Amino acid sequence: MGIDITKMRNIGISAHIDSGKTTLSERILFYCDKIHAIHEVRGKDGVGATMDHMELERERGITIQSAATQVEWKDYTINLIDTPGHVDFTIEVERSLRVLDGAILVLCAVGGVQSQSITVDRQLKRYHVPRIAFVNKCDRTGANPFKVRLQLREKLGLNAVMIQIPIGLEDKLEGLVDLITMKAVYFDGDSGTDLRYAEIPPHLKADAEKYREEMIDAVSLFSDDLAEKFLGGEDIPEELIHAAIRKGTLLEQFVPVMIGSAYKNKGIQTLLDAVGSYLPNPTEVKNYALDLDHGEERKELISEEKSPTVALGFKLEDGQYGQLTYVRIYQGSLKKGEELINTRARKKFKVGRLVRMHSNDMEDITEGAPGDIVALFGVECASGDTFCGGGLNYAMTSMFVPEPVISLAINPTDKKSADQMAKALNRFTKEDPTFRTFVDQESNQTIVQGMGELHLEVYIERMRREYKCEVETGMPQVAYREAIQTRSDFNYTHKKQTGGSGQYGRVAGYMEPYSDGDYEFVDNIKGGSIPNEFIPSCDKGFKEAVKRGSLIGFPIVNIRCVINDGASHPVDSSDIAFQLAAIGAFREAYNKAKPCILEPIMKVAVEGPTEFQGNIYASINQRRGIISASTEDGTFSRVEAEVPLSEMFGYSTVLRSLTQGKAEFTMEFEKYGKVPSSISEALVKEYEEKRRKEQGR
Amino acid sequence: MVKQELIQRSPVRIFEKSIHGGLGAGEVGIISSQSGIGKTSVLVQIALDKLLQTKKVIHVSFTQHTDYVLAWYEDIFDEFIKKKNLENARDVKNELIKNRVLMNFNQDGVTGDQILRSLRAMIVDGGFKAEALIIDGFDFTKMSRERLAAIKGFAKEQGFSVWYSCTVTGESAAYDKKSIPLVIGDFVDLVDVVIVLEPKQDHIALTVSKDRDTYNPEHLALKLDPKTLLILEE
Repeated sequence: MGIDITKMRNIGISAHIDSGKTTLSERILFYCDKIHAIHEVRGKDGVGATMDHMELERERGITIQSAATQVEWKDYTINLIDTPGHVDFTIEVERSLRVLDGAILVLCAVGGVQSQSITVDRQLKRYHVPRIAFVNKCDRTGANPFKVRLQLREKLGLNAVMIQIPIGLEDKLEGLVDLITMKAVYFDGDSGTDLRYAEIPPHLKADAEKYREEMIDAVSLFSDDLAEKFLGGEDIPEELIHAAIRKGTLLEQFVPVMIGSAYKNKGIQTLLDAVGSYLPNPTEVKNYALDLDHGEERKELISEEKSPTVALGFKLEDGQYGQLTYVRIYQGSLKKGEELINTRARKKFKVGRLVRMHSNDMEDITEGAPGDIVALFGVECASGDTFCGGGLNYAMTSMFVPEPVISLAINPTDKKSADQMAKALNRFTKEDPTFRTFVDQESNQTIVQGMGELHLEVYIERMRREYKCEVETGMPQVAYREAIQTRSDFNYTHKKQTGGSGQYGRVAGYMEPYSDGDYEFVDNIKGGSIPNEFIPSCDKGFKEAVKRGSLIGFPIVNIRCVINDGASHPVDSSDIAFQLAAIGAFREAYNKAKPCILEPIMKVAVEGPTEFQGNIYASINQRRGIISASTEDGTFSRVEAEVPLSEMFGYSTVLRSLTQGKAEFTMEFEKYGKVPSSISEALVKEYEEKRRKEQGR
Repeated sequence: MVKQELIQRSPVRIFEKSIHGGLGAGEVGIISSQSGIGKTSVLVQIALDKLLQTKKVIHVSFTQHTDYVLAWYEDIFDEFIKKKNLENARDVKNELIKNRVLMNFNQDGVTGDQILRSLRAMIVDGGFKAEALIIDGFDFTKMSRERLAAIKGFAKEQGFSVWYSCTVTGESAAYDKKSIPLVIGDFVDLVDVVIVLEPKQDHIALTVSKDRDTYNPEHLALKLDPKTLLILEE
């Protein structure tokens, strides 16, 4: 097989937007001889970064899809996943993290720990991914890696310790001092390919000593041997330090902080060394699956070739040659021609073409090793399916999929586009669980739903480019919800007598606000006034009723329906009669329960130079926003606010013009909040008019 | 209990009475003690009292980042409702949050002018008409007459009051004969009210060292519960 698992690293690059993730990946590919020239993100040379192979990504200078590639660094094999920074593409981040063993957390030396770094760190913690921090952009004006280190400690609560310090900063950044070998490292040559080790410059000697001592002190916790030598004032061998850092990092109790500038080709090779030295190999990460044959018992997976195969299809892509499924092999191996079972679909399939991905290019292989990330061709499956061999019936735990918050009506402009649109939607929904589509029964329009404006925009654009499908889009629509505010009683009889057997059912009880979930049904009937067999029918009826509220036709949430009385007829009662009785009862009580409209409230963080603060505050104020906090340190300020999603449409353009393009914002779903009465009245009116028009048609 | 009662029965009422109605627009008060005695808690209680009256409050913090301050608000609010059994606590809380803004500054990197500019941006551009400004964690060794006068002028112009916390170090040497912290000695005339927190055997005592023109350390008959750090009647 040739691959030594202990020398394998599955790592991701995670960070805030614009901290230079893709630039860093590009350098990594270059230094690992994967590519022969460096291309920049917003490719002035017209090529664009290798990992951003989508035309759209190159144009916009952002990463949309996570791309996987494999590189060789010294004797290490590294599967590298570049993830998007924009929260609209959050599912890409979630699924990458699902299969990663370690991560490089990239931070901007100027911006430091930004709001999204916090989000990313939270995700890393959720999946227990050990990390190395890389403070990028040390060549920029205002760069201060020491400040970033402090923020890592204070804001993220990480035990962040410098293992390097910079030689010069801003435009004087020359190289770095490695605190383990106590040598200065310079990156010579056109693209920084030649590493030159030298004595530490005299003016940095004292600093280097100070930070080294701090580092040794911190890592001595993870090695008794090292601690002993440290206290005894003995020389500490490098290997001992490496081992201690590795131990602390794997335990997630230590985060080595490295510095550099990807753009200026500084600090990348040393970072790659650290990936090999400190991040875990697949056998060092505990992964679990649920044994479906034994009551979903948790089973630890063993990264061994001899074990039966367990692999997770974590990402689908429709390529030129059909569906491509990215697979992480957790246990056993994946061989061409082997028969596996998809445990969700209960379907056997044969491993056909097996490839290794290098961003957009691929290489045919015959076998995948345990711990490896490869791709399969022509397998019918959905994102998140588990594939097992050797008679196992395991399922990997699924990943977190957030609910979409925004929707858009789309309309093909001609017949040909209509066919293509169906194809495109079919593929996109399969690839991306946060992208959904359905046909609105009332208006007969196709609606797409997603995580944000940019998310939907990208898919519309992809339809145009990849499917030659022209669509007209309506105004973006917010995914509203309805809810009740008080308790309300019902007592409803459904009776129908039209010859033959009739329908009869009486349902009594009440509905009330319920804060712990979307819907709950409670059966409080004593004495069997409704026969047991019809209780589920009542539940079904209520469930049907909460699908559409009567105010603006959106789903009703946070409601509990309780039945405590009713009546039945020996002949005329039936499942359908009680369903209809429940629906009738619901309608009777709903309007008395003070229904209200809820809207998605977004957590918005705006970051930019302090001079534009007034404009930023004003722009949030105009959008019904509530500023919760602002943080300032000299030149840079961050404003956190809660703003209704409906007010955020087009905000990126507004913000750009308010701040000369110098501020940026991120937003993610926070909660549902009550819509103010003036706006709610307008929404109801609009809905009624729409209905009237449709009925008139 | 409803919100109105909670406001009326608040120990902050007695606290205000003893300093003749509390601080008015353009007035500056200082809560002083050694660190870890309960200054932040008192400031948060003053802020929460305003918030319950649907007045807007800006809480400026210099030392900790915002999560730490938020935790204080959460804890004290929870203590409040636990004791008083408040109705619709969740709605009341949501209402409070709308009227509170936290601002966090880096003590070293930001000048007094910059802070004023940011406050002005928040109040004027952000449309956030605060009635009280709470400033916690400011290092008074960095305070100057000009800086304090500028804040006072701005507070007067915009109609809000200002409460500072002031940390003193050392034991008795930190205060002068009138129980005024030495560190504010140079501009004590610009400060309207000074309150000193002192740890006693089983509680923390509150004393008014300065109330406008009178410097007479007066026993307040108020104390902090050493466990919850809530203001209580003695």
